[in-house]
Formats: sequence, structure tokens, C-alpha cells
Amino acid sequence: MATVASQEDQQRSKLEMDPIRFEVIRSAFDAAADEMGAALRKSAYSTNIKTRADFSCALFDAKLRIIAQSFSQPVHLASMSRMVPNAIRQYGVDKLDPGDALVMNHAYRGGVHLNDIVVIAPYFGDEKLQGFVAALAHHVDIGGYAPGGYCISTELYQEGIILPPAKLVSRGKIVEDLFQVILANIRSPRQSAGDFRAQIASSLLGQRRMGEIIRKFGEETIETFVDELIDYTERWSRQEIAKLPEGVYHSECYLDDDGITDEPIKLAVTARIQGGRVSYDLTGSAPQRSSPMNATLTQTYSPLAYVIKCLIDPNIPTNEGFYRLIDVSAPEGTVVNAKAPVGVVGGWEVAMRLCDLTFRAFSEAMPDRVMASTKSINCHMACGGEDPRSGEYYTFIETMAGGYGARPTKDGLDAVQSHIQNTENSAVEETENNLPFQITRYELIPDSEGAGRYRGGLGIRRDWKFPDHEATLTVFSDNRKYAPWGLFGGGNGASSRYVLDPDGEARELPSKITLHLASDSVISYRTPGGGGYGPSHDRDPEAVLADVLDGKVTAARAREVYRVVVDTVHRCVDFEATRKLRDDNR
Amino acid sequence: MSTFRLGVDIGGTFTDAVMMNESTGEIRLVKMSSTPSDPSVGFINVIERILEESNVPARSVTYNVHGTTVATNTIIEGKGAKAALIATKGFRDVFEIARQIRPKLYDIFCDKPKPLIPRALCFEVPERLDFAGDVLAPLDEKKVREVARRIKREGVEAVVVCLLHSYVNPVHEKRVGEIVREEMPGVFVSLSSDLCPEMREYFRASTTAINALVMPIVSRYLERLERRLMEIDLRAGLHLMTSAGGIMSSQVARQQPVNLIESGPAAGVAAATHLGSLLGPHNLISFDMGGTTAKAGLVEGGVPKIVPHFEVGSAAVSENRSAGYPVRTPVVDLVEIGAGGGSIAWVDPGGGLRVGPQSGGADPGPACYGKGQTEPTITDANLFLGRIDPEYFLGGEHKLNPDLAVNAIGFLARKLDLQPVEAARGIIEIANANMVGAIRLISVQRGFDPRDFMLVAYGGAGPMHANALARELHIPKVLIPMSPGVTSALGLLVTDIKHDYVQAHIRPMEAIDFDKLTQEYQSFERQARDVLRSEGISEADISFSRSVDMRYVGQSYELRVEAPSRDLKPGDEGKLNAAFFEAHQRAYGYAETSEPTEVVNLRLTALGRIRRPQLRRLATGGQDSAEAVKGVRQVYFSEAGKRVACKIYDRYRLRCGNSVPGPAIVEEKDSTTVIHPGCHAAVDEYGNLMIQESH
Repeated sequence: MATVASQEDQQRSKLEMDPIRFEVIRSAFDAAADEMGAALRKSAYSTNIKTRADFSCALFDAKLRIIAQSFSQPVHLASMSRMVPNAIRQYGVDKLDPGDALVMNHAYRGGVHLNDIVVIAPYFGDEKLQGFVAALAHHVDIGGYAPGGYCISTELYQEGIILPPAKLVSRGKIVEDLFQVILANIRSPRQSAGDFRAQIASSLLGQRRMGEIIRKFGEETIETFVDELIDYTERWSRQEIAKLPEGVYHSECYLDDDGITDEPIKLAVTARIQGGRVSYDLTGSAPQRSSPMNATLTQTYSPLAYVIKCLIDPNIPTNEGFYRLIDVSAPEGTVVNAKAPVGVVGGWEVAMRLCDLTFRAFSEAMPDRVMASTKSINCHMACGGEDPRSGEYYTFIETMAGGYGARPTKDGLDAVQSHIQNTENSAVEETENNLPFQITRYELIPDSEGAGRYRGGLGIRRDWKFPDHEATLTVFSDNRKYAPWGLFGGGNGASSRYVLDPDGEARELPSKITLHLASDSVISYRTPGGGGYGPSHDRDPEAVLADVLDGKVTAARAREVYRVVVDTVHRCVDFEATRKLRDDNR
Repeated sequence: MSTFRLGVDIGGTFTDAVMMNESTGEIRLVKMSSTPSDPSVGFINVIERILEESNVPARSVTYNVHGTTVATNTIIEGKGAKAALIATKGFRDVFEIARQIRPKLYDIFCDKPKPLIPRALCFEVPERLDFAGDVLAPLDEKKVREVARRIKREGVEAVVVCLLHSYVNPVHEKRVGEIVREEMPGVFVSLSSDLCPEMREYFRASTTAINALVMPIVSRYLERLERRLMEIDLRAGLHLMTSAGGIMSSQVARQQPVNLIESGPAAGVAAATHLGSLLGPHNLISFDMGGTTAKAGLVEGGVPKIVPHFEVGSAAVSENRSAGYPVRTPVVDLVEIGAGGGSIAWVDPGGGLRVGPQSGGADPGPACYGKGQTEPTITDANLFLGRIDPEYFLGGEHKLNPDLAVNAIGFLARKLDLQPVEAARGIIEIANANMVGAIRLISVQRGFDPRDFMLVAYGGAGPMHANALARELHIPKVLIPMSPGVTSALGLLVTDIKHDYVQAHIRPMEAIDFDKLTQEYQSFERQARDVLRSEGISEADISFSRSVDMRYVGQSYELRVEAPSRDLKPGDEGKLNAAFFEAHQRAYGYAETSEPTEVVNLRLTALGRIRRPQLRRLATGGQDSAEAVKGVRQVYFSEAGKRVACKIYDRYRLRCGNSVPGPAIVEEKDSTTVIHPGCHAAVDEYGNLMIQESH
């Protein structure tokens, strides 16, 4: 039997289509997706899309199979491939006409959280439906309880306006009634209107490109191409997954709390790698809460797929051919497969922690392919209020970088986004030009790294001051009670902290809270450092010295934790004292 | 006595010199290996050789322009000067934090670019301005002095000052600069508000730091060149090609070496622009294909498209955002992809055929070089298909081994279960598809229709692929200049002096202070005039063009809009808005005319016109090109689906007025032009080949 299968595999290790034509069509579709992304990014209004690149664009065939996708945030990996087919099927393909576009964000109909709004446009060639294009963007505000969409909710209804699949554009014209209803629910309608227009423009561009490609190669060729693309992706992914050590791997951890109660939230991952496939079982994860800390299955899927992408060839395209090999089973009604009506906006924190947890599950089997825990939080700051300069209501969201986990052969990065999140920071000067608050500090936190043979990255501190106006602010984060873990004897990174008026009352806040800020308040975020890898007393003393000279690690910590004595006057390691210290403590 | 213009372009592999007789337009070329350990050696070697070969005394050279990679290499290799940063209190980690993103999404081992200045040399001083430039906290001068003294003990060559919101009010930066100079006479101080008065602190700090880090290196390099030039009695003032496709005197370049970062690639676009201007049609797409990459640029109305920023040190393929260091200086807009003669063809594990971005470069190069490369490259495919003569590569200086190409392609074909000829055709087709993508990016994605443009192809490999690319994109005409392999060096001889100025000026359109605008532009013009005069440009040859960067209120990417050259006055808002809406429509496919707009930056480009050299004209012949045929070879064309008998032409024997019917191959020392069936090439008076469809 085995021989037969491998022969079959060998026969199928080639494309049936002309490989040259295959590659040419593939690059044409990839370029079209990239072009859609560039158009969306540059013409959008909100910082979240244009600077932080929190969006994704994709092309689908008439059977709703993804052909090409462009994105900068791995968190969008699976959302497109599930959200778009769901939306179209629910709406009904037969109700679509040329020039139409649907809008949708419903978390319980295949979506993720309400801020992620997708615009989907069918493409008709020769009066016949030939495909779809979609542009998904994270909108800065979506109404709901608190500015920016991040709030301590108990139900989805509190998180903002819910859009089931609905026509936003009908035969080339914006449906004003719906558009105005949406905008009336949003705190910064002008900005959002600009973002919607950018999404529609991006879709129109995608339709044009799709038409050009289909006309050039013919509809049948494209259909064959998509069949081939999926097989090709599956073949390549299977081959790569087969190289990973087979087995069953398990790990568990806790999130701080759900924002409503203090009770920690348990996450459990069991991964089985076998026969070129990965099956995840999340049984053991906590039941869902009447809180925002729940993830939909769509949201849970992305981090689990992401980890596998990190372990195999990153050049493999992402479509059904890859997703077919990754099964996720999660009991319904848990924080990893939430059922209506509980809130979902905190699902990001669940998804982020799942990445680190899954890497840890694999750590014993693949110690050279995994990192210690990263900051492991999305770390949102969302705020809004009346801009004293213009009288307009503003909203703003930002996510903070932190330490990356130490790696098997090198240190973790300082001040960087991790895993499924790769959003850029908005420039201090640009933010202060556009918005009525000031950023008063933005710096690394010394000694926040998880110590180790290779150390974790440093967390950052960012402080905001709200002069001359009252504002509403939401801290939405985690890892304040817990901390990014080290691996193989490496130390934990520092936990996060959220401090109100750090130079005055210095009130420590929980990791999830909505606050009313008095004028001139200051809020200070301190993000976690990454975990360390290997025992800290194995660290190269010269590397410790470099960190001390750079002010990243204090000389006191170097001595206590790394057992390295640094002569700060001569800027060198006192090797004799270091040897003695390390010997004495062995 | 004749006078001569001399251009020297130093690349990673070759150092090219081109010399033009100013009265006859006659051109001479010399190509020698570069001397990376000290490029000034190769610089002088190539000049001495070209002067000797053409029997021209050094003193007859009246004009000398240099394209250099010294500044870029200094940054990429991390060999910049030792420098310190002074920042606003609370913000010294601007280089450590940078953009807080990872250059690669799925590679857990990837790193952010190393901070330009190590944290130990980053200092902060108490002070703070708000976004309007008003002082929130005064500058603590005592602390500045302390910091300056600490920096002094570190023995740095340069100090970079980048304080928040200095682009709108430089008062604190200027004072910090004064104190540092008092404490550390002789150290080079670079203020971000002088060099790059634009909003966004990381980008401004990065630009300023790069300038400071390369300055001592560039300065010493230029000194060395000038000393050697004096020794050989070459007294023409040295000029340098800038990233923006202009030139500047070595004196000015020393102060702003950050402008030299993209010196090399800009020269090619400058040459294409000049060739276009001789022929009339001023809309061009430049296409430069060498050994490792292909670069596409765009020239509209005789002016190369310039963008206000780029990233140095990131990979050629631009998707790796944040892999390098941002630089906010004007630069010729180029889309670069990993497709060159040395790009390697490979089969991915899914069974797909891929070409590049890995390249054999110059060593080992393609398989047919016989230096150990076993995988086939684009050059091997071209050789296999009969498009290259193995005996006449680089004029016969470099014999190719066709058997090695056959082996490499055969190996690939077996993996794909294809005939070798199909595999070779596939390599070319896939490489062409990638390059078509690059040309679409520079044209279609920027809102330009390639059908309105002429393709100008150069670089050693460009003319081999240009005809096929133009067909694919429906570009009506392809121009192949004489000596395409050294077109970039030629660009050095035909470029105007150019200086760019920018000042942040963030105001809603309805609140524009036109008097203030006029003052800013006049101040730019005064500065520019002084510099141009110091470079020997007379008043009659000076011209200015004004522009503004605009966006919708709330957006944060700007579009550049031309402004009238006269002073703007109330009532001009509509004009600027109209131009902005048009630009927005073109770039993004929509424009909302009721939305409020704002001005972000004011820009001025100052040009010092250089006398255009005459290119040499060819003798006129009839339409018949039979005189130039040097043989017939079997060459594969995909239109025919097989090898066909194809005439091979000697480019040096073609005459003005000749027509070369496709299929045809035109060979010259540094390149090979492929003309497809159904096309023909007309030879013009300058020897350019103009390829178009025959019907």
C-alpha cells in the first residue's frame, strides 16, 4: 500500500498544466492583489490602514476559492478565505448584479470582530459571474460602547454596528441609505467614509485586473489554473509538513482575566502532526465568558495556521490547498469557538496567546525551530473625545510593540510586533498633528528582557497626555498577571503595566479597562519583554557587556541574573570576577 | 583643440568610462573591473586608459561627472563614521524602535535593521515643542552642554540632532548645534531641520543620520579622487550624479552625501530622458536589465518621475518593507526586481517553474561561464535558444560554453518533464512575465497607460527582452540606444545640475497664508541661486520649478502637485485643488471634490542647465540593411514555436535609414538586440534602433 501511495505522490508531484503558463497566470493574479493593496493603503484616511497596514485584499474565482491574497498582517490569513464565501452564500449569488458590492463585518456569520469590514464585489465578464474581489480593512471606529471598538463588553451588540452581508454599492452607485446608517453609528464618520471609498476603489481596480487576466487566458484556463493552484499548494505543503516530527504535542496557559471578572482564562492546545497533516484540538480551553475575551472559530484558525507557516517554507501560497491540511477542532461555546451573543473584540488576545502556546507545545520536539514567548499581547490603546482644536469627535487606536522571544541561536528583537500582528507605529509628530494628545515618552524599558543564553527582547514604554480635553480611553491588553515565559531554563520577560498619571498618583490599572480621563491626564503603557532561551549564566559575557554599555541591562542585573561582572569604568568584563561568581553559583 | 566630457560610473562589477568629443559627438568607452577595496584606484585606472586609448590629453577634459556607490555601500556594509544622536527627552530610542515591525512575516529568525547609531551613543536633552512649533518645555542648555561634553569623550566624528517638531520650528535644534560646536570644534554637526525639514521623526532622523554617517567617508573619497585627478592634470571640476537624476558639484555633494545613495541607477534614467528629448516623444518607460536585477522607470513630458523617499539596504524586491533604512530625499522612481541575465531558474517543491530572485551574479555567473554554476540562468536560456552568439559575448572577450548551458537546461527540463527547448522558452517567458509586472507597477499602478509611452531599453540584457515586453504591454515603440551596456555612464554626460529643497508647511487649504508661502519659495530660490552660482552656472541657465505635497485632511500619504512658477495668491486654492484631484484620480482611481484638502510640504527644484552635447550622427544609407548582415543562425522564436533561420546583423555596420526586418538579431560588443517576427527596427541618425510592429 505504502508503495502505491508514494508512486501516486510522485506522479502527482508535477503540474498537469503547462508549468510556464501556470507561473505566468499566478504572477498576474499576485500582482493584481498587490495592486489592490497598494491602492487601498495609500488612499485610505485612517492611520490604521495607511500607516499600520491593517488590511487585506484578495481575488476569488466563481466557486469562491481564493486565487491570490495580499496582506501584511498574518491575522488576516484565514479571515478572508472564510468571511468572503460565507458572506456571498448567505446573501445569495443570484441577487448580485454587475457593479454591485457587498459589505459585511458580522462576527457570528464568519467574521472576526466588527472593526474588520470587508467589501466584496462580484466580477461579471460577458454577463456571466466569473469571480469576486474583496478588500478587508480594520476601521478605526465602528460605534459601540467605547471609541475605537475596544470595550469591556458582555455581548457583541455593545461592540458596534453589526453588518450582515448587504449591498453598499448597487450597479455602480453607493446605496446612500445604508451608507448613512453606517456612518451615523461611527464616531469619526468623515475618516470612515474615506476608508470605505478607498475599499471600493480598490475593489474596482481588482475587478478591472481580473477582467484583463480572464480575457487574456480564457475562463476555462483560469478554472484549470485554480484547480492546479490548489493541488500544487497542497502537494508542496504536505511535503513540508511531512518533514516535521510526527507526534502529539500539548501545552496549556492562562490569560489574565476577562475584563469583567478577575478569573484567569485557560487555553489548551493539542496538536497532532501525522501523515503530512496537522490536527489541532483545543478541548480543555475555558468555556466562553460574558465578556469580550472570546474568539470566533475564524479568529482561532489564523494563529494555528500561522504557526505552521512559520515551520514550513514561507513561499507556499495560502489557499484551500494549505488550509485543507490544517484541521481545527474546538468545542462550541468555549473562548476559542464562541457562540452568540458574547463579545469577541478581545479575541485578538486569545489568538495572540495561541501562537506562543502552540510554539511552546512544539518546543520539546523542535527546539531549534521555536522561540520563547514573545510579548504575547496585541496591546491596544483606543481613545476618543472632542478635539478642542476643531470641535470634531476624534477616535484613535494604536497597538504597542514589545519584546520578541529569544531564539535558539540569537536574542529576541527589542520593541517589535509579534506573530499574527505586524502593525507599524504611527509617527509621534504625525499623530500630534492629527490628534489633540501628546506622546510624552517612547522608549525601551531596561531590564525588562527575559534573561537567558539568548535573551528576550525589551519591552517599551509609551506615555500619552491629553491636554485641554476630557477623553475616553480603553486599555485592552493582557500579560499583566502572567509574563512571557522562557524556554529551556530561560527567564520570563517582565510583565506589562498600565499606569494612570505615572508622575502623580501612579494608579496601576488592570489590563482591560475603559476609563474616563480628566483633562491633562497621562496614561503610561509598559509592554512586556520577551522570554529568554537557555540558562542565563550560559550567556556570553561579552554579550552581557554590550547590553550594559547600551543601557539595556543594568550592571546590577548583569551581576545578579547573568553572573557577569562588568567594569563600567573600563567598559570591559571583569573575567576573573565573573568566573568566580559563575563557579560559586554552579 | 577639441574638448571632451568624461563620465565614470562605478558599479559592483565593472567600472565604466565614457568620453565624448564635444564638437563631433564621437563617443569612446572603456569597461574595466571595479576595485571594491579602493574604488578610487579603478576610477583613475579607467580614466588613464580611456585618455591613452583615445590619445586625448587630460587637460582637454572640461567636464567630469561621476556615478558612485560609495555612499550606499557605506550604509549596507555598516562602515559609516562613529556618530552620536541628540534627541528630545523621552525619545532617544528612535532608531531602536524604528517602525516596530518585522521585515518578514513567517521567519522567526529575521532581524530588524541594526540601529544606525548604537544606543550607547544616543542622548537626550530636556525640551519640547508642540505640533505647531510652540515651546512646551524650554531647552535646558546646561544639560545640552553636559551631553556635548560626554559625547566629546566618546571621540565621534559626527553629531546628529533630531528634536521633535523641529521641521516646523528649528529654534531648539539650532541652539543645540551651536552649543555642540562650541564644545566640540571640528566635529561635524547635522541638524535634521537643515537637511530634511519634514514631519515624521524616525524618517527624518534616519535621513539625517545616514547623511552624517557617510559624510566623512564620502568626503575622504572625493578628496582622494580630486588629488589623483590633479596628479594626472585633469582639472575639470568634479561633479556627481544624485539619486534624483541630477548632478551636483563635489563641494555641494560633500555637504549632502545622502543625495548620492541612488547615484548609479539614476544615471540610466537620465540617459533615457536625454535620448527621448532628441527624438521628440517625451513619454518614456526606461528599462535597465543587467546581471542581477531589472529596473523600470518612467519619464513623463521629458521629466523623470521622482518620489520623495526610499529605503536603502532592503532587498531589491520591495515587498520587504522595513528591511532597510528610510531616506527622505528625492529619488528617481524605480521598480526593481530580481531578474537579470544571471537570475537562476528553479523548480519549487510544488512543481512550479520559477526564475530568480537568486542570481549567479558575475561569479559564478550563468552556467555557460564555466565557473561552476550548474543551474540554468536567463543568459543560459538565451544562449540555448540561439539568441546569443557564444563566440561574441562582450565582443568575444568572454567565450561562452554552450554545452554547459545545454546540460543545465536539460537537467531542469527533466525535472519538469519538458523538452529542453520548452524549458528554455519557459525561463524566458516567466522572466518576461516578472518584468512585465515591474513595468506595470511603474506605469499602470501609477495611473499611466503604457500604450502612451515608448520603451527605452538598455543594460547588457535589456535589448534581448524589450521587444517581447513591449508586445505584451502594447507599447508601440522600443528604442535601443547605441552601446546599451554603457547607457548609464552616458547619462552622466547629459544631465543638468539639480538641487531640491523641501520645507514642511502643514495647513488646511482654506487657511493658507500666501505671503508666508511666497517667502518660503523666495528663500529656497535665494539659497539655490547662491549654490548654483558657486557651481559656475550663469543666471540665464538657472530655472526653478515649484510644487506642493497635498492630501485630503486626514490622509497621511501625500501627492506632489505642480505649483505655478509665479507667486501664489488668494484665489489659487482652486487651481491647486484641481491639480490634486486630478493626481488623486490618476493614482487611486477616485477623487472626492467636496472633501477638504491640506498642504503638507513645499518643494522647489532648482536646475542649472548644462549645454547639451551633440551625439554623433551616422552616415545615411538606404532602407536595405543587407550590408550589415554578418551571418544566419537558427534562433528560437515563440511566435514560430520553433527555431527559424534568422539573420544576424552587425550593429556597427548599420546606417541611418536602414530597416531591419524581424526575426533578426543585432549584435554589438556590449549587448544583443532581439527583433521578433512581425516587427522591424528602423535605424535613426544617432544609430538608435526603433523597434515597432510591421503591419
